Amino acid sequence: MAETTFIIKSSPHLRHPDSVPKIMLSVIISLLPAVAASVYFFRWRAVVLYLACLAGAILTEAVFLAARKKPLSTLLDGSAVITGLLLAMTLPPSLRLDQAVIGAVVAIALGKQVFGGLGHNIFNPALVGRAFLQTAFPVAMTTWIPPVTKIINTATYATPLGNLKFQNAVAQHTLTPLKDLFWGNTGGCLGETSALALLIGALYLVARKTIDWKIPAGIILSLSVFTGIFWLARPDKYASPLFHLLSGGLIIGAFFMATDMVTSPITPRGTIIYALGIGFLVGLIRLFGGYPEGVMYSILLMNTVVPLLNRSTRPRLLGERRAKK
Amino acid sequence: MSLSSRMVIVLTAVGIISGGLLSTVGILTRARIEANRLREIEEAIITVVPGAKTNTKIYEEKDFTVYTTRNDQGQIQGFAIYTAGTGFQDKIVLMFGTDAEINKIFRLTILDQKETPGLGAKITDKEAFLKYWENKDCSHPLMLKKPPVAQEELGASEVNAITGATISSEAVLATVNASLAKLRSLIQAGTIQIEENNGQ
Amino acid sequence: MASKPLSQEFTKGLWGENPIFRQLLGMCPTLAVTNAVINGIAMSLATSFVLIFSSLVVASIKKLIPSQVRIASYIVVIASFVTMADRFLAAFFPPISKNLGPYIPLIVVNCIILGRQEAFSSKNSVGRSLIDAFGMSLGFTLALLVLSSIREILGAGTWLGHQVLGSWFEPWIIMILPPGAFLTLGILLGIIILIDQKLQRSK
Repeated sequence: MAETTFIIKSSPHLRHPDSVPKIMLSVIISLLPAVAASVYFFRWRAVVLYLACLAGAILTEAVFLAARKKPLSTLLDGSAVITGLLLAMTLPPSLRLDQAVIGAVVAIALGKQVFGGLGHNIFNPALVGRAFLQTAFPVAMTTWIPPVTKIINTATYATPLGNLKFQNAVAQHTLTPLKDLFWGNTGGCLGETSALALLIGALYLVARKTIDWKIPAGIILSLSVFTGIFWLARPDKYASPLFHLLSGGLIIGAFFMATDMVTSPITPRGTIIYALGIGFLVGLIRLFGGYPEGVMYSILLMNTVVPLLNRSTRPRLLGERRAKK
Repeated sequence: MSLSSRMVIVLTAVGIISGGLLSTVGILTRARIEANRLREIEEAIITVVPGAKTNTKIYEEKDFTVYTTRNDQGQIQGFAIYTAGTGFQDKIVLMFGTDAEINKIFRLTILDQKETPGLGAKITDKEAFLKYWENKDCSHPLMLKKPPVAQEELGASEVNAITGATISSEAVLATVNASLAKLRSLIQAGTIQIEENNGQ
Repeated sequence: MASKPLSQEFTKGLWGENPIFRQLLGMCPTLAVTNAVINGIAMSLATSFVLIFSSLVVASIKKLIPSQVRIASYIVVIASFVTMADRFLAAFFPPISKNLGPYIPLIVVNCIILGRQEAFSSKNSVGRSLIDAFGMSLGFTLALLVLSSIREILGAGTWLGHQVLGSWFEPWIIMILPPGAFLTLGILLGIIILIDQKLQRSK
């Protein structure tokens, strides 16, 4: 058939200047300060882990695109790069490289491509990869090393949250100082140690309106309220809300993972419920759960209810009436 | 024959035949199943109290059973305590042996658990966990050492935790300590009496 | 009823109507006990025993049972064989009985068994029903064997308790936990549909 000269298109007719590659590029830029910080704290371990995760993610994406006969150009939209980067940032620095690659393959294959690729996935792909690794290699995923900058004569090292949960740190007065949490001079996953570096990138994203500020704000609010109540009641037993905000994966999770456009709600009310839910679950797991850290599971759990939230909080159309029962 | 009476007759017949078959199978296997259960407990008692020749059940309640054991000369060696506590996933069923004064734990064995394989499930592993429980002083509550240290550096009533499986290690510890306290209070209250010459 | 050749009654259970990969029946034992090959084999044997004998009995007495009470009668027959299997394992193979725990009694509600009685044995001759039951049992056994082999090799580095992967291999513990069952089954289902589509197209 000859091409018609008329352009017949369904809506939308107005398009935002942002495109997928542009958004992805700004997310990558925003992650760079934290990447740099992790390389500073963990040196070559960080570099090789990033490379392993990126290679695993990009290759898997390419294999799936080829198998599904899609143009390989979508590889350049950057979403696989982000998944690889984010996954590496949630891994312990001492993880073996083959295990990191397995995580990256699972993240792309089972987290994204089996659902039909970018835009169709239910869960945040990087977190799917991490959840798989956490369950597959529980020992390796909970073995931590101190940062190079901290001169300690031990091979292993508890994370601030592990210290809080298992060593009764509040009562023993051995809680990691907030200063260390803020700068990142402590043990933990590659990209989550330095709150400062993460916040710089996060501010850039919020300023560019790439991410919805309501999501991190809601998470921070509900986690602060939840942990604040317990802290005010028993300051000798529970850590302060500020400690909870700066430690573990809360910042990277709230700003970079929960805000994933594909897996967060599209309605304003849904977004707020989603954010408050994540913060509440993080607090619940950290204070009463079996794990010291709960950001990953909280986000994954709230991801599962996103379709439900989208449907039940759909704004009413103008003039639409609620169906009578 | 009307339909309803046919239904009743068929169902009754099927029920009677199957009931008859099942009771036969039940009778044929009952003795063996009971023997299996007893043998399992017998083996566990020999594991936790080395050299136990005979044992007598002296106290039983839900998830807490006490046996006294005697060596081949008929002398009382101590207690074997069968108990259960809440682990990370599900109940941990275990047995441990103590001397008659409840000052020393001989050994500990895990009979049933559903902890995470490769992590909490290491509580069944001799090298990783159980060997630290051998011949421990239990006159005071036992304590967990974490991170783990070499066996020589452990205190008389300290046992090593499993790295990365603090919850499972603590569950076993809490279960053992609670059972020890319970056994002592039962002896004090006179519910459990050990009579040196009146075994079996 | 239009009857297929006997060989097809047997082979349909292996591929075309495989109870697990095609009919997606009996998911409870499939997902729960395939964490080790030995458990998979024990579960297959117990299920096959129940299926074959139930089919035999149901096909022989089908004319006597009024259709209004057929399901109740089938369930009594099935439950009797399940209880026998359960007692037998507890008496002679206590470790296996302990590993499989509640899943042996749960064979009663395994849809493969009631499904075959309702869909096949109650309408076909004893011989045909037995062939169908053998085919379905073998299909079930093969499926469990494949699933449990993948899970045990990746999750523990062993096959039937023997070390098959070297010490370099760090077991993927997730594979012997429940998520591993779902992942393995899902991926296998995908592969089988893919193969089937290729076969259909080449015809």
